[in-house]
Amino acid sequence: MSTPRPGDGPFEPDGVDWQPVSPRLATARLATTAIVLGVPLLAAAVTAVLTGATWVWAFPAAIAVLGLWIAVLVPRQVRAIGYAERADDLLIRKGIVFRSMVVVPYGRMQYVDVQAGPLGRAFGIAQVQLHTASPGTDAAIDGLPPQEAARLRDQLASRGEARLAGL
Amino acid sequence: MTTPADPGPARADVPDPAPTTITAPATAPPTGAPAGPDEATVVTGAAATAPAGLEWNRMHPVTPAVKGWKVVVVLVVIAAQQFSDDVVQARDLLAGRGWLVALAVLAGAALLAFGYAALAWRMTRYALDDEAVYLHSGVLFRQQRKARLDRLQAVDVVQPILARLLGLAELKLEVAGGPGSAVSLAFLKEDQADTLRAELLARAAGLRRQEGQPAESAPEQPVLEVPASRVVGAMIRSGAAVGLVLGLVAVAVIIAVTGEPTAALALAPGFLGVAGVFWSQFSRDFNFHAAISPDGIRLRHGLLESRSQTVPPGRVQALKVQQGLLWRRSGWWRVEVNVAGYGGAQDSAAENVLLPVGDRDEALTAVWLVLPDLGTDDPRGVLTAALEGTGDEGGFTTIPRRARWLDPWAWRRTGYRVTERALLIRSGRLVRRLVVVPHERTQSLGVEQGPLQRRLGVASLAVHSTPGPVSPRVPHLAVDVAARLLDEQTRRARTARAGAGPEQWMRSAVEPGPAS
Repeated sequence: MSTPRPGDGPFEPDGVDWQPVSPRLATARLATTAIVLGVPLLAAAVTAVLTGATWVWAFPAAIAVLGLWIAVLVPRQVRAIGYAERADDLLIRKGIVFRSMVVVPYGRMQYVDVQAGPLGRAFGIAQVQLHTASPGTDAAIDGLPPQEAARLRDQLASRGEARLAGL
Repeated sequence: MTTPADPGPARADVPDPAPTTITAPATAPPTGAPAGPDEATVVTGAAATAPAGLEWNRMHPVTPAVKGWKVVVVLVVIAAQQFSDDVVQARDLLAGRGWLVALAVLAGAALLAFGYAALAWRMTRYALDDEAVYLHSGVLFRQQRKARLDRLQAVDVVQPILARLLGLAELKLEVAGGPGSAVSLAFLKEDQADTLRAELLARAAGLRRQEGQPAESAPEQPVLEVPASRVVGAMIRSGAAVGLVLGLVAVAVIIAVTGEPTAALALAPGFLGVAGVFWSQFSRDFNFHAAISPDGIRLRHGLLESRSQTVPPGRVQALKVQQGLLWRRSGWWRVEVNVAGYGGAQDSAAENVLLPVGDRDEALTAVWLVLPDLGTDDPRGVLTAALEGTGDEGGFTTIPRRARWLDPWAWRRTGYRVTERALLIRSGRLVRRLVVVPHERTQSLGVEQGPLQRRLGVASLAVHSTPGPVSPRVPHLAVDVAARLLDEQTRRARTARAGAGPEQWMRSAVEPGPAS
């Protein structure tokens, strides 16, 4: 189950309303997987047909199994991504097996990036990334609809300005 | 693309070498630069255009000679490497008139190097006002740089051996704008560099003085000193020394077994490497002095290349006290710090050290330099427990017993303690480690949990700090403890930030209030 249970330790702070990201992110990630795995799959299948040996079919089969596994995994992963804007900080949570959550105070933000690649634009999603003075801050929210990304960017920028502190 | 705006009268005599090839820096900050000129610590391009009426200065005229030599040395080293494999070939090349050609090539390269350095010197100017330092440089690709003084993280005076012999020094300003953001003024006369450093620190501190009165260096009080004998002792008790001894034993055994003394040659590169490590360590930590002044921590060290660092108050982001297994008998500790702007460069090993080697009292003094008030009634007791204790002595919260599957050796020691001012993280049993993060220096917080940790009901908490040798992290805390600590740290960091001293550290002392 992708939604963690309440009272589940540090990943469920009290009174936090988690926002999910767009399910289109799953589609976009699956499309990437299809492109990355599709070419080797096709090559392996053609090789198998040409050689005619049965054992050669193991390669395309393995790639297909990997693809299926990813296809099952990705939607769950995307459902597990959540973010929440609190009064003074932004929470970002991700992962099911390897879970992580990051708390970024608005006053610590140095700058905000909004990115959208060609695939992301085609599916109508963008990524918002917060940068603090620490390279350890892994605060990227992928799969936001463009208008939500823009709203979040402006919101974060204005909140950051209001609470800005030195390093 | 336009040429940069005329910065002042100093430029009038500078001819434009080739206007078509001049590229003005991009007007928009590059991606990855801090957003908006207001928040950026280093600004290049149009936003860096200095206000009119500044007094522009050049570097010392001997600078090109010092910088040009670097190129020549690099060339000679490359040539030596090329021919070291084949000495015979090198001899053939240099036979007859060959050495004349080699000399001519070298002379030509030197001429080019010195010529370029001279041109670069002509194009380099700096100026300062109350808010910022401006540096204009570049021959083909011009750069105008403005570093805000209120974002100053550290000021270093560096003297490489050649500059030192000539009485010159490089002044380096760290402003935490990412790699390569330091403003380097190289080279200035020694006393000029000292005066300028005092001036910069006074302005960054927000000291208001009468016009025309030179800034005086803040008085300093020596606190720590590392004798050369202890630097050597620390090197003897290091992993590299153990490796060296093992290597020697191996060579002795091989020679004894095979009866071939040439076997020793095979290990020569390894020994050279170890010797190089020892040498750089010794020359870096030689004559180490730490002092405290109103302008912050002052560090001075170096045998050939001397380095004098000033880290203003509140600029240390995190601190680590560490003791390797071999140092335990002598009770020695090493203290390293994260300072925004330091680290990342190749100098990080030289810059981030607050105490290369010292006994426990000295290590505690180093902690005190960074955090004069640890926020407890018994700082000594807490720190002693943090350095050498286990279990819950000293008020530490350790990781649960069930986490011993993940941390079988040190689980009794791994733990944290929160004081009013800082988070103390204790870990390691063979290599003892204590990490201290002042609450107001917390950048962001993270929790992580892998599948094994989930089964055991534990999670790891990370405190994100600026780049450097310290990465604070408490592994395998019980989930409820981790949740509470995360929540409390978020709150504490917020409160501490709100109550943190001003970026201009002398402001509060100089202007106590409207009443005075």
